[in-house]
Amino acid sequence: MAQIFPEWVDNIPKRLQLATIIVITGIIFGFWYFGSPEYLEVGYAPNQPIPYSHKFHVSELGMDCQYCHGSAWKSAIAAIPPTETCMTCHEYVAVDSEPLQPLRDSWETGLPVEWIRVHDIPDHAHFNHSIHVNVGIGCVTCHGRVDRMEVVMKSESMSMGWCLDCHNNPAPHLRPVEEVTNMAWEPPDDHYQFAQMVIEKRNINAPIYCNACHR
Amino acid sequence: MGKEQQQTYWRSLNELAQNEEYRKFVEREFPENATELTDGVSRRNFLQIMGASIALAGLAACRKPVQKILPYTRQPEHIVPGIPLYYASAVPFRGNLSGVVVETHEGRPTKIEGNDLHPGSNGKSNIRQQAAILDLYDQDRSRKVLRNGSDSTWEDFTAFCREHFADTGRRVAFLSEAHSSPTLERLRQSALNRFPNARWVTCEPFSEESVLNGTAMAFGRRLRPSYHFDKASVTLSLDDDFLQDSDNDVAHIGAFAQSRALASPDEEPSRLYAAESTYSLTGSNADHRLRIKSSEIPLFTFALAAHLSGEVSGLEAYAGYRNTFSDHSWISVLAEELMRNRGSSIITAGPEHDAPVHATVAAINHALGNTGQTVEYLDVPYTATADQNEAFAGLVREMGEGQIDTLVMIGTNPVYTAPADLDFQTALEQVPESLHLSLHYDETSRQSSWHVNRAHFLETWGDGHSFTGVRSVIQPLIQPLFNGKSETEFLNAVLSGEDAAGHQLVRETWQELLDGPFERGWNEVLHDGLQRGSRYNAVSVSLAGSFSAEAAGFLEAAEEPGGDSVELVVRPDPRMHDGRFANNGWLQELPDPMTKVTWDNVALMSPNTAERFGIPPTRRFGDPNQMVVRLRTASGDEAEIAAWVLPGHADNSITLHAGYGRQKVGRVADQVGVNVFPLRRSVSRLYCTAADVSATGRSYVIACTQDHHSLEGRPHVQDADLDHYRENPTFAQDAVYVPGIYGDREHPVSLFDDKQWPDHQPQWGMAIDLNACIGCGVCTIACQAENNIPVIGKREVRRGREMHWIRTDRYFRGDERGNPQVMHQPVPCMHCENAPCEQVCPVAATTHSDDGLNQMTYNRCIGTRYCANNCPYKVRRFNFFNYSKEYLTTGDDPEIIQMAMNPDVTVRFRGVMEKCTYCVQRISRAKIDTKNETGDTVKPSDGTVKTACQQACPANAITFGDLTDEKSIVSIQKSKDRNYLMLEELNVRPRTSYLAKIRNPNRQLSEPS
Amino acid sequence: MSQNTATVPDDRLVKGNHDFASITKLITDIPQERTPLWWYIAFGISNILLAVMLAMVVWLIWNGIGVWGLNNPVGWAWDITNFVWWVGIGHAGTLISAILFLFRQGWRTAINRFAEAMTIFAVMCAGLFPAIHVGRIWTIYWIFPLPNSMQLWPNFNSPLLWDVFAVFTYLTVSTLFWYVGLVPDLATMRDRVKGKISKLIYGTFALGWTGGNRQWQNYEKAYMILAGLATPLVLSVHTIVSFDFAVSIIPGWHTTIFPPYFVAGAIFSGFAMVLTLMIVSRKLYGLEDIMTVDHIEKMNIIILVTGIMVGFAYSMEFFIAWYSAFEYEKFIFVNRAMGPYAWAYWTMITCNVVAPQFFWVKKFRRNITLTFILSIVINIGMWFERFVIVVSSLATDYLPSSWGYFTPTYVDILTYVGTFGLFLTFFLLFLRFLPMVAIAEIKGVLPQANPAYYRNGQSTKTQ
Repeated sequence: MAQIFPEWVDNIPKRLQLATIIVITGIIFGFWYFGSPEYLEVGYAPNQPIPYSHKFHVSELGMDCQYCHGSAWKSAIAAIPPTETCMTCHEYVAVDSEPLQPLRDSWETGLPVEWIRVHDIPDHAHFNHSIHVNVGIGCVTCHGRVDRMEVVMKSESMSMGWCLDCHNNPAPHLRPVEEVTNMAWEPPDDHYQFAQMVIEKRNINAPIYCNACHR
Repeated sequence: MGKEQQQTYWRSLNELAQNEEYRKFVEREFPENATELTDGVSRRNFLQIMGASIALAGLAACRKPVQKILPYTRQPEHIVPGIPLYYASAVPFRGNLSGVVVETHEGRPTKIEGNDLHPGSNGKSNIRQQAAILDLYDQDRSRKVLRNGSDSTWEDFTAFCREHFADTGRRVAFLSEAHSSPTLERLRQSALNRFPNARWVTCEPFSEESVLNGTAMAFGRRLRPSYHFDKASVTLSLDDDFLQDSDNDVAHIGAFAQSRALASPDEEPSRLYAAESTYSLTGSNADHRLRIKSSEIPLFTFALAAHLSGEVSGLEAYAGYRNTFSDHSWISVLAEELMRNRGSSIITAGPEHDAPVHATVAAINHALGNTGQTVEYLDVPYTATADQNEAFAGLVREMGEGQIDTLVMIGTNPVYTAPADLDFQTALEQVPESLHLSLHYDETSRQSSWHVNRAHFLETWGDGHSFTGVRSVIQPLIQPLFNGKSETEFLNAVLSGEDAAGHQLVRETWQELLDGPFERGWNEVLHDGLQRGSRYNAVSVSLAGSFSAEAAGFLEAAEEPGGDSVELVVRPDPRMHDGRFANNGWLQELPDPMTKVTWDNVALMSPNTAERFGIPPTRRFGDPNQMVVRLRTASGDEAEIAAWVLPGHADNSITLHAGYGRQKVGRVADQVGVNVFPLRRSVSRLYCTAADVSATGRSYVIACTQDHHSLEGRPHVQDADLDHYRENPTFAQDAVYVPGIYGDREHPVSLFDDKQWPDHQPQWGMAIDLNACIGCGVCTIACQAENNIPVIGKREVRRGREMHWIRTDRYFRGDERGNPQVMHQPVPCMHCENAPCEQVCPVAATTHSDDGLNQMTYNRCIGTRYCANNCPYKVRRFNFFNYSKEYLTTGDDPEIIQMAMNPDVTVRFRGVMEKCTYCVQRISRAKIDTKNETGDTVKPSDGTVKTACQQACPANAITFGDLTDEKSIVSIQKSKDRNYLMLEELNVRPRTSYLAKIRNPNRQLSEPS
Repeated sequence: MSQNTATVPDDRLVKGNHDFASITKLITDIPQERTPLWWYIAFGISNILLAVMLAMVVWLIWNGIGVWGLNNPVGWAWDITNFVWWVGIGHAGTLISAILFLFRQGWRTAINRFAEAMTIFAVMCAGLFPAIHVGRIWTIYWIFPLPNSMQLWPNFNSPLLWDVFAVFTYLTVSTLFWYVGLVPDLATMRDRVKGKISKLIYGTFALGWTGGNRQWQNYEKAYMILAGLATPLVLSVHTIVSFDFAVSIIPGWHTTIFPPYFVAGAIFSGFAMVLTLMIVSRKLYGLEDIMTVDHIEKMNIIILVTGIMVGFAYSMEFFIAWYSAFEYEKFIFVNRAMGPYAWAYWTMITCNVVAPQFFWVKKFRRNITLTFILSIVINIGMWFERFVIVVSSLATDYLPSSWGYFTPTYVDILTYVGTFGLFLTFFLLFLRFLPMVAIAEIKGVLPQANPAYYRNGQSTKTQ
């Protein structure tokens, strides 16, 4: 009787099997990678209402992180400084620069400057700055070389896995507390011994149970 | 009333999705001008689409999309973003203050705690104080001044006052709440001086007037009796719920619990007798309870006095008096007991009982030499010299006769609360000008020509005294949200027509009150929350000469109530009081301590009485429908209300709780329950006899959080009589047979050789002392405030979906028809070491932490509810709907209620499980602070971590701390012989343990009648 | 002659005067003839039900689990009840085709195809419930061990997880088994249908089957292997489903008897469901010769046996509860019989224990009407069994303060009713477009299949 299918159809089944396996794996890994903060959020650098340059203020003027973000040493939040802080200088410096207009407006009207949030961890994760900086985790570890950024950019994924990487093995990220704000600090050769010493002395065991961050 | 009513407050979710705030909210998350991500549109779109879809699914509670940061322009002093500040203030209630400390986050009050320095608080608090924070953020509070119902302004009002009160000859009447404020008193004086024809009447629906009248009768002076239950070894409560219905309840509970405390079997706890009609919270903590009608209480009191008159001097007036109770078994036993404990006994009577009862009580206390020992009589300068209830009745009469030109109402809501026979409303219509200050645009405001919106006490300056006279300043923590005015500002405007700041008025007053340099003293008062050393002075009393004559009079008048005539007893509601808290969702949803009914008031009656009127004496399991009864007083006033059978209630007596059935007050209060004030008379306010009761045949749905009221003989709540405890101190631990031994005694052994806890300090644990717990339920409200627990409304509670993380189970034991015993048991999460919930979660959303907490990770939860099913203690709570979103985005401006949230606690989204966390946010804060300070340890010193329930508990029933430290308070508690684990045989190893309750009955009355 | 005729077994599996050709015709004609009116009506109704189900599911997902009647003690009710019930029904298929195949039970050939189809559709209905019963269905993929940036795995201790794997495996293997069995018949269809498109479609799925010797050899091997694989699954699936309860600590759930008890119950309900469907379709399609009363009787015997097993399990539960001397356990069982859910309990007993006793009598076993009624009664009973286990245990467990009564909402009810729409829609499509009896296999049990049959040139005459 008449052939319904041409010759080549015979190969379809095998190929189909192969294709299915590849496609499914592809989908899973696609989501894994393209859905991850790693891919989605690193490099997020919105233009701020005021083109404040960390590069200039930190590298050239040599301002310390604490000058503006001091609350990081006391509280969970490393707060954006109040207009007041900026005005301590800018009442005298660059008083009529165009880009600083929003700042002066804020100072006169008392309405805050609306900065765009760059580093944003979800509400259900409670990160505490003070406990990290006080045991010697450098600003740069999470925020990258802010001193080289014209526009602040998110340089780490800040995904849960990323947090756990460090919490499972904090040693490589520890530094002398006085070096915390030092963007350029490089671990010395004996850093391992140093880290062990700190972990010993300060009894550091970074919690990896849920409640440490999620409450 | 017929069918169950759903609060308009609780919108359906799809309605919610279209609701304005919700859209605003989604838009807010993705502002139009939100900046692109560096590598162009594609990625941002992805984010936005993802974000939007998730946000619409409502996941926003768990995920925080692109948003703005608004820093301060000028950062206020002391404020470090992220670190809460605490200020001392005081909570006024019925004219008495209780010292509190208020937690604020970046300037918004979020939590109220007791003030350790304040003797009326000792760091503890009650449900009203805990819930006050929600009143502050009540969107339904009145927001403007109204003139005859139409919008007006504060300026117009002051202008009106200037013009209107220029004529000082006017017959002005001031109607105010009870108060103890020096500032208000100062203004009151100047008011009375300014208007010669003025009069000042205090109006409190539930007041201490008849107590004062009683002392006046006995001692010739209106004095406030103040009881020291900690000093008493025997207490007799005559229909007095002093643990709840009192202005000093926090101190009372503390003292009472202290007098019952038992460190070891050889200690001698105090003994409490209660004679009462309803089954009150106090009654449920009594060693012996006599259920008699409230109308029989006077007779009982007189009979007791008569019996004692033979044995002590000072009661001669009662000699030879006899009535039905004279031969009652209790009288002789009590008399003997009281004689044995002269100087260390207390007799109290319900504040609503008539003066003769209080006079007699005062006389007995005095005769027994309790005065100055356990009872003090305080001279309170802020109480009027005349009976204010009478004065009020008189005022209403004059109003009706048109003899009042202007009525100035400072707070109070008489149209709603005034006794029916006075008919306040029609009287008010005869008054040309009526000015009313109130938090809500309420029943009275609607009838007044002027309504001024009142400020919440957390918003304005004020002052006053505690029950015992400790003077405090009420310090505001936030600008008035709705530009409300305080009572002082209001009264001042009336007098001077000027708009003076409360701050000024209060400081002016305190210039006289503080000695030494003012600023220093003032700051000290603000810092401590009280003026040290200040208190009302206790006066020494002696029986008035006229007393015996008076006594003869009222003994003559005392008539025996007809045996089976039914009495209606109207009492303040444990939560709503007189209705002033009716718009508070937390209180509405807090189960009544005895009935566990929420969102309604009911007609409480005994099984026998119920049967008599054709109401089934027992409820069918799981059936929320209750029979509705029609109650008619002798004078023909009616109310129809759902009947509720309360075992242990006196027969032929029906208790009604006031404070419900408010009209057009707010989206929470409206239509909830039935207003029973119309059943109240202006004379003998507590009860009316010879009521006519009939079943209507209709039924009404009641939301009760506890469906089954018997323990079924199960050993969950361990209690014993003192003797039994002394013979067998470890009875509670031995109650359940547990196979296997570890440590020194029976414990379940595990197949696995698991350590008691991991090598990690601290290890948290909790002990709850059932002997201290009185079952007031403040732990529930404190927890709700601390942990952002939503209010879910009547419908959901009725479906058994209440969200409270700590509940108080209440069980009856014994003869339901007679006088059953009641047991209260607070149940939070037990934080089992071998937690059954952890095993079964497919996604590991609930796990164990290094410091022994059973953690619930909301954002990992997919909501299979398997953990809740597998929890033997049923402490897990599931978000069946998007409760938090309904709670936080409903209404005119949800931002307001959002301000009440605790920023340290995640707001839970629908479909996730939640439960008690041992206040892990407080634990983490303590651990981090400790680490930052010490640099090497995360173990906070004992007592620095207090859970919300523990901190609030006035009885100190809850202790919490580190189990690895033998010297920690909790370890000491757990080492006591009364300590036991609920359901220990399951070997789940709960970290929360209980200490058994010890009753101290009198052998002579071993069988409570 | 008489001697020869004597060799012909008189209880033949296929009644009537059939040869290979007539069998093929009988079965393959069904998909080819015009679609009967009743089919359109039935299909319409089941589509409406399906629509109702979908509507309810959407409503549920949009609003939250609260639209069901669940409350605090009772976290599972109709959702899991329906799940277990459908999975149970899904048992008969693979049991018949795999286990009976290994035991060389010739009579299975009449019903296996159709039982397997039923299995697959039932398991689909079952699978629905675990999926929709979660609070946040959009995160349900977390129960699969997928790589993720949270560095989190599912909790492999959880029976619920085992359950997911068990049901998925079962569904996959059953489908494979069913399909492999279909291949030769699909080829037959391909060769018989007229339409070009139908040829194409049947042809595609026939995978170029020619009926060659080698193909048959491989086919038999494959079929045997799959049967071997499927057999343990028949037992494992419901065993693991029962772990959902047995592993917990809730009195009434925490019971070691559950695995065998659940499997027995599953077979019980499965066979009942097969009978219900079979009795209807054999009439409608005039297959009385193939699905004979003998088949029905054999199945009734199995129902009787499993029914007794289930009844034994019920009584054994009580005994163990008493023997455990664990008061909560004792209470829960007494409470089942006397408590608020007594009505459900006694419905269960009547349907599952009393009803099957009729089948002791041969007359009843062979009575089609009675069988039909009882088969339905039994499935009602089995639904109540699951309801009693799930709900009554949760409603009154350890702390009396937390006891709560469950009342279903209309969403609960309509979702359940709706699943029949899903089930029947697929089943009707199956009846319409696929050979509902394994043609090749049924031929295998014809006398003609006996090589000795044509000895002495004897033709297939029979009297």
